[in-house]
Amino acid sequence: MEKLIQAIYGGIVYGSIFGMMALGLTLIWGALRMLNLAHGSLYLVGTYIAWALVTLLKVPMVPALLLAAVGAAVVGFGMQTLFLNRILGKPGWDVGSLIVGVGVGMALDQSILLTFGPRVKQMPPLIPGVYKIGRVVINYNFLVVVAVAVISLVLLSLFLSKSRYGLAIQAVSQQPDAAQLMGIPTRTVFLIVMCISAALAGLAGALLSTVYQVQRESGANAMLMALVVTIFGGLGSVKGTIWAAYLIGLLQSFLMVYLGAGTALPGVFLFMMLMLVIRPSGLFGLGEARRL
Amino acid sequence: MLKVTNLEAGYGGSIVLHGVSLEVKDGEAVVLLGPNGHGKTTLLRTISGLIRPSAGRIEFDGKVLSNMSPAEIVAAGVVHIPQGDLPFPELTVLENLLMGAYLPEAWKQRKQKLEQVYELFPVLRERSNQLARTLSGGERRMLALGRGLMSNARLLIVDEPSLGLAPFLIEEVYRKIHDINKKGGLSVLLADENADHIAGFADRVYLLEMGSIVSEGSAEEMLKNEALLAAYLG
Amino acid sequence: MIQEESFSRRSAVAHVAERLKPSAVPWSRPSVVPVVIVLLISLALPWIADLTPFGKFVLHLMILFFLWGIVVEGWNLIMGVSGIFSFAQVALFAVGAWTSGVITQQLGWSPFVAMWFGPVAATVVAVILGLPTLRLRGAYVVLLTLGFQELFRNFTTQGPNFVAGGGYGLRYVPKFPFEGWVGGDKAQFLYYYLALVFFVIATFAIWRIFYSPIGMAFRALRDSEVYAISRGVSPFRYKLFLFGFVAFFTGWAGAFYVHWYGAISPAIMLFGTTINLLAMIVIGGWGSFWGPIAGCAVLTVLPEVMRAVEQYRILLLGIVLALVAIFAPEGLFPLLLRWVRRLLGRKG
Repeated sequence: MEKLIQAIYGGIVYGSIFGMMALGLTLIWGALRMLNLAHGSLYLVGTYIAWALVTLLKVPMVPALLLAAVGAAVVGFGMQTLFLNRILGKPGWDVGSLIVGVGVGMALDQSILLTFGPRVKQMPPLIPGVYKIGRVVINYNFLVVVAVAVISLVLLSLFLSKSRYGLAIQAVSQQPDAAQLMGIPTRTVFLIVMCISAALAGLAGALLSTVYQVQRESGANAMLMALVVTIFGGLGSVKGTIWAAYLIGLLQSFLMVYLGAGTALPGVFLFMMLMLVIRPSGLFGLGEARRL
Repeated sequence: MLKVTNLEAGYGGSIVLHGVSLEVKDGEAVVLLGPNGHGKTTLLRTISGLIRPSAGRIEFDGKVLSNMSPAEIVAAGVVHIPQGDLPFPELTVLENLLMGAYLPEAWKQRKQKLEQVYELFPVLRERSNQLARTLSGGERRMLALGRGLMSNARLLIVDEPSLGLAPFLIEEVYRKIHDINKKGGLSVLLADENADHIAGFADRVYLLEMGSIVSEGSAEEMLKNEALLAAYLG
Repeated sequence: MIQEESFSRRSAVAHVAERLKPSAVPWSRPSVVPVVIVLLISLALPWIADLTPFGKFVLHLMILFFLWGIVVEGWNLIMGVSGIFSFAQVALFAVGAWTSGVITQQLGWSPFVAMWFGPVAATVVAVILGLPTLRLRGAYVVLLTLGFQELFRNFTTQGPNFVAGGGYGLRYVPKFPFEGWVGGDKAQFLYYYLALVFFVIATFAIWRIFYSPIGMAFRALRDSEVYAISRGVSPFRYKLFLFGFVAFFTGWAGAFYVHWYGAISPAIMLFGTTINLLAMIVIGGWGSFWGPIAGCAVLTVLPEVMRAVEQYRILLLGIVLALVAIFAPEGLFPLLLRWVRRLLGRKG
C-alpha cells in the first residue's frame, strides 16, 4: 500500500515536469515543424538563472522562477530571430532547423559550463518540510512544484483553446497557408510559440533544480524524457502530450518503486518502441497521415 | 477598385504569369476563366501576397499591394478564399469562423459578423461546435466562404468554388456568392475553369491562357461567343 | 530476342548516362592517378612520420580519422543521401565494439575472429531498429534512434558485469596481437595499416553505393518521397537495406576500436560524440561524398591541437554548426571547392 502511494505520488511529480517540457517541444513541432534539440539547453538556462539569482543574489524564490522563465524565453527569442528566421520556409528546413537546434544547444551548454564551472550545485527547496502518511514521505517542495506545473499547464491549455492568439497558434499549426490568408502574421506567431516553449522549459528547469541537484547533464535527460512523451502523445497534439506525460511519469515511477531505479529508463524506452509499432501516430495523434 | 497591371510572377525560376492586366470595379463580379494549370491560382495568390511578383503592379483603392505582406493585404480589405477550402481541421466550425476575423478591426465586430454568416449559411450554425474535419464537402465550402466573410473584406477573391462538388451544390454555392456580391455589396473576383455556372452571376469575364489574358469582355458578350469559349475551355 | 535485350540494356545505360554527368559515375572513368598517389602517400606515411619526433601522435590521429571516417561516411550516406536521420550511429559503433570485445574476453577467441561478429551484430540491431522506425516520419526516426542510443548506453552502464564492468564498460580487452609479431613501436604501424585497409574497403563500398543507380534512387527518395514511390522505388526496403549496410561498416569500425584501444567506456555514447560526428558531416557538406571526409579530417585533428582551449572550441563549434546550417547548407567543403575552381578560372 505504501509502495503504491509512493509510486502514484512520484508519477504525478514526474508527469507534471515531463508535461511542461514536452508541451514546449510539441508546440514547436506543431507550429514550426521543427524538432528542437536545443530544448534541453533552454531548460538548463532556466536552472542556472534560478540558481544564480537565489544563491548568489539572494533573490526570493518566486521572482527567481519568473526571471528564469523570462531568461529562457529571451534565449529562445534570440535563437528564432538570429538563426531560425533566416531559413524559415526555405527548402531544407527539416535538417537545417534540426542542426541549428543542435548547434545552439551545444553553444548554450558550453557557455553555461564556462560561466558556472563543472561542479554540481545545490538549490534550496521552495518550501522546506515534509508530511508523512505512514511511511510515505511527502515533500512540501514536491507539492509546490506539482502545483506550479499544473497551474502553468492549465493556463497554457486555456490560452491555446480560448484566446484569440492561442487559436491563431493552432490555426498556423494546422493550416499555415489559410492562416496567412486570414491575416494571421505567421512569423510573429512562430516567434511567440518559440518564446512560450522556451519559457516553459526554463520554468521547468528552475522548478526541478529545487528537487534535484543543479548539474549540466540534467538538461539532456529532461529533454530525452520530453521527447519520449511527445512521441507518445503524438507529435503536435497538446491534449495527447499532457496525457502522455502523466502516463510516462506513472510508468517510470512504478518501475522505480517496484523493480528498482535502474529499470525505469530502459522500461520507458521499450514501452515507447512498442507503442510506435502498434500505434505510430501516438495516443492522440492528429488525423493527418503520420506515415511517410 | 483592384487594378493589376503587367503582372509577372512564378515559382522559383519559372515564370507562370506573363504580363497580366485586369481590373475589378466597385461592386462588380469578375470571373477569370481558363483551363487548369494556366495560372489562375498563381494570379490570385500573387494578388493576396503569398507569391511575390517579379514585375508589374497591383493596386487596390490607390494603395500598392505588391510590397505588402499577406496580413497587410487582408487588412486593406482583399480576402482570398483558397482553392480546396483549407479549413483548420482540428478547430471547431465556430473557431474557424473566428479566425476569419483575426485582425483587430474585424475582431471587434465578430459577434455581428458571426450572426451575418450564420444567417447566410444556416448549416454552419448547426455545426458550430463540430470539428472542421468532420464536415462534408459542401459544408466545408460554406465554411471557407463564411470564414472569408468574417473579415472586413471589400473584395472577395474566390478560387474555384465549384471544385469537387456535386452540380446541385455548385449551383447553391454560386447563388450564395451572388448574394454576397449583389446584396452584400462586396466586389468579387472569382476563378473557375468552366463557364457553365457563371451566366447571370458574372458582370465581366477574363480568359486566361498560358499565363496571359487572351480575351476580355462583358459576361453577356463573352458567353454568347461559344466558339471562343470552346476554343479555350474545350 | 538477344538483340532486343542488349538493346534495352544499352538504352537503359544511355538513359542513366543522359541524366548524369560523366563525373557522377566515376567508376566509368576512374581517375586512377590521384587515387594511386593518395594510396602511396598513405602507405608511406608511417615511415615518413617515424622520422619526425611526433610520429606516434600522427599515426594515432590517422587511425582515429580512419575509424570516425568510416562512421561519418556511413552516416552521411544514410542521412545526406536517403534522409534517414539516425542518431544511433555511435550506438551501432558501440554494439560492434561490445560484441567483439565481449567475445574475446568471455570466449577467449582471437580478435581476428571476433571482429567479424561486431559488424554482424550491428547490422542485426540496425535491422531490428529499422523495421518499426524507417516507415515513420523523419522526426520519429530521430527520437527513436536517440532513444535506442540512450537505452544501449544504459545497458552498458548498468547491465550484467561482463558488459558493464561496474560502470566502466569494457577494460583489458585483448588487443590485436601485433606487438607479439613485430614488437614495440612497429606494432603501431600494423594498426595503422589495418585501419587503412578497413577505411579503404568501407570508403570504396560506400562510394559505389553513393554513385550507383541505387544511390540515384536514394537521392530521388530524399528529394521527393512521392516521386520516388510513383517511380516504383520502395522507400522502406531501400532504407532498411541502406541502414543495415551502413551499420555493418560502423560496427566494424567499433570492433577495430576496441581491439586497438583495449577498452571502451559507455561515455562514448553521450550526446557529445554524436554531435561531433554530426558537425563533421554538416560542416564538411552533407550529401556530398568527399565533404564529410574532409570535415572528419579537420575535426579529428582540431581537438588534438586545440587541447588548451578545448572548452571554447566546443562553444565555437556549436555556433559554427548553426551558422553553416543557415548560410552554407551544402557545407563548407563544396563551397571551398567552388572558390578554388573560380580561382583557377574554371566554371564550377
